[in-house]
Amino acid sequence: MKRFTSLRGFLVASVLATGAFMFTSCDDKADGPTNTYAENAVLISNEGAMGHSNASVSYYNRSNGTLVNQVFSKENDEQVLGDVLQSIAVHNDRAYLVMNNSKKVVVANANTFKAEGEIGGLEMPRYFAALDNQKGYVTEWVTYNSNGRVAVVDLSTLTVTKTIEVGVNPEKMVIAGGKLYVANVGGSSVSVINTATDAVENTLAVTYGPNSLAIDRNNVLWVASSNRKEYDPKDWSVSEELSQPGALTKIDLSTNRVTTTYSFTRNAPAPTGITTNTTKDKIYFVYDNKVYQQDIAATALNTTPFINRGSSYPSRSFSSLGLDPANGYIYAGKAPNYTSDGWVVRYNTTGAVVDSFRVGVAPNGFTFR
Amino acid sequence: MGNLSNCKVIFCIACWCLALVAEAQQDTTLYQLQAVEIFGKPAEVFAAGSRVSTLDSTYLSTYTSTTLAEALQTRTPLYLKTYGASGISSVSFRGTSASHTAVLWNGLSIALPSLGQNDFATLPLSGIGSIAVQHGAAGASYGNGAIGGAVMLTSPEHSGKGFGMELQQEAGSFGRYFSQAALRYKGEKIAIGASGYWHDAQNDFTYRDLGRFGAPDTRQEHARVQQHGLTQDIRWQLARRSHVAVRSWYTYTHRQLQPAMGAADNKAEQLDKNLRLMAEFGHNSRLGETSLKAGYFSDFLHYTDNSNNSTTDITTYQLQAEQTYTQGQKWSLRGGLNLQHFAAEVQGYGGEVTENRASAFLLFRYDPDPKLALSLNLRQAFIKGYNPAPTPTVGANWQFLSFGEHQLYLKGNISGSYRVPTLNERFWQPGGNPNLKPEQGWQAESGLRHLYTQGNFKLESEATAFHMLIDNWVLWTDTGIGYWTPLNLQKVHSQGLELSSRATTTIGELQPGLSFSYAYTATEQVKSYEGSAAELNRQLPYVPLHKATLATDATFRSWTFTGNLIYNSRRYITTNNSGSMPGFALLGLALERQFKLGTGSLHTTLRIDNSTNTEYQTMVNRAMPPRAYTFNLRYVIQ
Repeated sequence: MKRFTSLRGFLVASVLATGAFMFTSCDDKADGPTNTYAENAVLISNEGAMGHSNASVSYYNRSNGTLVNQVFSKENDEQVLGDVLQSIAVHNDRAYLVMNNSKKVVVANANTFKAEGEIGGLEMPRYFAALDNQKGYVTEWVTYNSNGRVAVVDLSTLTVTKTIEVGVNPEKMVIAGGKLYVANVGGSSVSVINTATDAVENTLAVTYGPNSLAIDRNNVLWVASSNRKEYDPKDWSVSEELSQPGALTKIDLSTNRVTTTYSFTRNAPAPTGITTNTTKDKIYFVYDNKVYQQDIAATALNTTPFINRGSSYPSRSFSSLGLDPANGYIYAGKAPNYTSDGWVVRYNTTGAVVDSFRVGVAPNGFTFR
Repeated sequence: MGNLSNCKVIFCIACWCLALVAEAQQDTTLYQLQAVEIFGKPAEVFAAGSRVSTLDSTYLSTYTSTTLAEALQTRTPLYLKTYGASGISSVSFRGTSASHTAVLWNGLSIALPSLGQNDFATLPLSGIGSIAVQHGAAGASYGNGAIGGAVMLTSPEHSGKGFGMELQQEAGSFGRYFSQAALRYKGEKIAIGASGYWHDAQNDFTYRDLGRFGAPDTRQEHARVQQHGLTQDIRWQLARRSHVAVRSWYTYTHRQLQPAMGAADNKAEQLDKNLRLMAEFGHNSRLGETSLKAGYFSDFLHYTDNSNNSTTDITTYQLQAEQTYTQGQKWSLRGGLNLQHFAAEVQGYGGEVTENRASAFLLFRYDPDPKLALSLNLRQAFIKGYNPAPTPTVGANWQFLSFGEHQLYLKGNISGSYRVPTLNERFWQPGGNPNLKPEQGWQAESGLRHLYTQGNFKLESEATAFHMLIDNWVLWTDTGIGYWTPLNLQKVHSQGLELSSRATTTIGELQPGLSFSYAYTATEQVKSYEGSAAELNRQLPYVPLHKATLATDATFRSWTFTGNLIYNSRRYITTNNSGSMPGFALLGLALERQFKLGTGSLHTTLRIDNSTNTEYQTMVNRAMPPRAYTFNLRYVIQ
């Protein structure tokens, strides 16, 4: 939240200053056959620079290494995907591209990337999750500092049928056992929505700032919380003194009770991007620009980084993290700035760098098919 | 954009036409050293060997209702970045950024201290007498920010005595209206001029919305521009050798900021209110000319959108004192001092910020021979904690060949330039970086100028090659922890070639003129100081390699025809050059007829902008207007 307000503040003050720019490129059309994007797909969402509508999707074939950037504009007659691609979700051969500052979700065929329609009228949409072929959910912040909502979407008509009020800044979601779990990053709760009634039936208290969720093989929900951060007024770094330490919270979904809260020792860094491996017996998260691996059976936080590139190395080094369920490779997005294309770096299961390739502006997430 | 090939054809035809004729440039050689009693020697006199062009007065009177942004885009080889029909507009000289251009109003810098630059869409042509453009670095003459170039705006000077007036009404496509009234009086001792304008444009044109499913034709919403303003000049000749002048310039611009295609309309609006007052005193004595200028500028900017509300309110006091001594036709020396005081109330600074800046300059012009002009200039700026290096300029202009009706000049200069960090760069919270160093530029240029006169046919051409280095270039960088900070991030190298030519003649009652300009600009980052973002040796975004303009003005009896053709080549939009916007050409046409009416004359003008209906963008994903018609009625009593 802070990030967006200060970014906008900056834009306001220096509207003329060098911005970040990118355009649906004028490269040649993709020469592949239709269904080019069906096989071994890693879809990379490139957020783009706010206000410039230069978000894009990259396709990476993880068996043969083929990379196609600007997939959407290539397949849709140079059309503009939109402003700030927050996330991509794929369900049943459809890709749902959540366009945060376009107030919509663009729906495309996940195999061909031909546009199929839009879900409009969304206020600050963040993430999409599909229950089945008929119903999906979109978290909407609506405003920066009051309660947000979850939009219920009819996937056959691509219209919003209902909205459900949740906490402040609803962010990522997971669906399990007929329940939708929504992390309210601007508050201290996870909302639990019954997917049969589409009503909130429980609110789970966690450490302030839950930003991501993962469910392990034991039906335990892991929640990464940032907690409250304050700037050091001297140099505008995040203050170790004034901030509160982040935490990982474990919630047993059979009882909806918090079983463990792991609090971090340092105050300034925050755990983000929590995710599991294929067998769901390990979780991964980013902390202080390092990637950590945590065995779900461990009784304490693992303090040895899995991937360590040093805390000073490009501050946005791990702007995003993805775990390939097929081979356990870790994909990290690296965005040097908003005026040039970012990179994706791949790491193997030992945490060693495999390779890297260049994608669009500000890669912020990965979807594996 | 499919009409690129058409554009290329038009461009080629234009180039071919050009081979037949050809300039719009005025060289500093035109400013001959004058006897002492001529007052107000322009600073250009001290810029021997550099390139200064002036905007044509026919163009300025036909396009009074437009802004400096449009005038520079149309008539100079500069690139203008415009955020859609209603958005802010900034200029790039020789590949540099918007803050690398100094804008002076009657000799005083009017850059907004918070941003270190001007929005050219808020500077109207109405009420401005003449516009000169200095191409290339001129830090010694124009001070802070004159790294890529400078734009000099001068209030109108009226020649004839007595009363004069002008009334103007205009209506055009997409809900556009413009009205203007101007009055002037000149007596033995006093000259008074005043003008006011009012402008309202809905900009509700139709464009192909590439950001919506199926790219439907869409009417532009939220792009209205409302402007009005006043200028006033009073000049009083106190005695034969001294005068005072009081000038004021107020501009009001309220804009709905047009969102990018594909981006939500967040109802962004910007209100700019700029009041500029100055008083000047001039005196001639045996010790030369004394000039004192005092300025009071109030710059107010209010930005709002669905989730932001931000104001900038800055008061600037400026004092400039100059003494110029000229010895016959041989040499002239000017010494001066400029003092600035800023008081900034900016929400982002968390409190009032004040700053004092001073600079001292010494400008020297020496003509050892009527065919040779030399200049040597030096400026030193003083800002607490940010003293930039001294900026010298050495220049020469030499008429080395003269045969028949041909005259050839060789010219060149080496000049330094600087830009001290802006208030935003230092005080914005969070992120403002108090440890920034001033940017520093070095430029060398050399050129040839050719003059051909036969009877009333006149052809002036100029070719200039330049080479520029800008070090400690400041860029805002995302820290990754929630805010941005400016850093001295890069060293940039720019080099290029500029050609220009202008031909005028008189054939019976026909007075045609044709001018052409072309700029080749290669600008690259050659060094990066921090972070991993180095994209070395690639063309900077939003700097076209090629820009060309072709302009014609022709008068026949009571008719005047104006034509403007511009071409911009591909502009990259990422620093790694992965994406770009295609080149485009724009054609503007205007036809005017004058009628005698009472003691004055009535001018009726039909103007067509973007005549070829080209779909283009100057800033990524911002729709620009298609073909537009404007009808203007102007009644003038000289």
